[in-house]
Amino acid sequence: MITSVLVVIEAISAVLGAALTVFMIKPYLYTGEKRYIGLPLGFAFLSISYIFQGIALSPGAPPFIEDMKWLHLFTQAYAFIFLAVTYYFSKQTTRGKGLLWQILFSILIIVILFSYIAVSITPFFTLPSYKSVDEYFRSFNIIFALYLSISTLRSHALKPDSKTIWAPLGYILLAFSQYSFLIWSLDLSMAAFVGAHILRLMGLLIFLYISFETFRISSSVIVKKRA
Amino acid sequence: MKRLKRRDKMKIYADILSIVQSETKKEKIVLTRIQQKTNVPFDRLKVYISEMKELGLVQNDFLLTEKGRQYLIEYNRVLDFMKRMGLEYPE
Repeated sequence: MITSVLVVIEAISAVLGAALTVFMIKPYLYTGEKRYIGLPLGFAFLSISYIFQGIALSPGAPPFIEDMKWLHLFTQAYAFIFLAVTYYFSKQTTRGKGLLWQILFSILIIVILFSYIAVSITPFFTLPSYKSVDEYFRSFNIIFALYLSISTLRSHALKPDSKTIWAPLGYILLAFSQYSFLIWSLDLSMAAFVGAHILRLMGLLIFLYISFETFRISSSVIVKKRA
Repeated sequence: MKRLKRRDKMKIYADILSIVQSETKKEKIVLTRIQQKTNVPFDRLKVYISEMKELGLVQNDFLLTEKGRQYLIEYNRVLDFMKRMGLEYPE
């Protein structure tokens, strides 16, 4: 029963992540600047990570399907890295930094391919226990999510606006979600486990709210103009 | 001296469209006025305008087309979205 509920939560999270990817690709499409490609990639990887976790948790899944939980860890880490790199480079406009972004982007792609091979070709690599790797990855995710929170909070503080407070709140909730998963991994606290899922859903819903609020208002303007 | 931020083509298009939109209400638009306001060299501005005409964003007599108006609305809402997401973009 609990497993089924968890699979449903992962499915909902994956759908939210996919919907967000559609909105997050717009800055890249409309500005044509490569430094914004990390935003849709980040949310796409988040969505993929939830799909992997959902599959791994599926009741009666064979052992090779359970290995998907490793891919969940990796893809979630890529998501936070891509988002953090995007926010870092969104402040840079010079050509040198553009080149740096391209080099970093290429390295990330190589790391992604390497980690995929490491997980899928297990005889060549012996990985440590899932629990310890999970804790390391959660810690890294917290650091990146906190960077995102601080970065967006700083943008809000520089130009205070009621509309810009939601993004830092969303990233803070995602950071706390990772922290709660870490606590659960360390002491198996049920409250931390449930809280982590709730915080994650809330974080994703906040980003969806930002997206709908922006594009809904504009759509109504278009309708009014046409009327 | 403060270095000017590099503007991409999309932003220049949006700047030109927004000037064309505001100026249309006043009187007949001349190319030099757009050049002064966008701060784009005259030869490059002519290339941009010609590209925008080909794309159907402006008409020959510097009037915004429906497509141009839609582009401007979409562009501004994407900028608003980026602002809400805490992403930096030269305004």
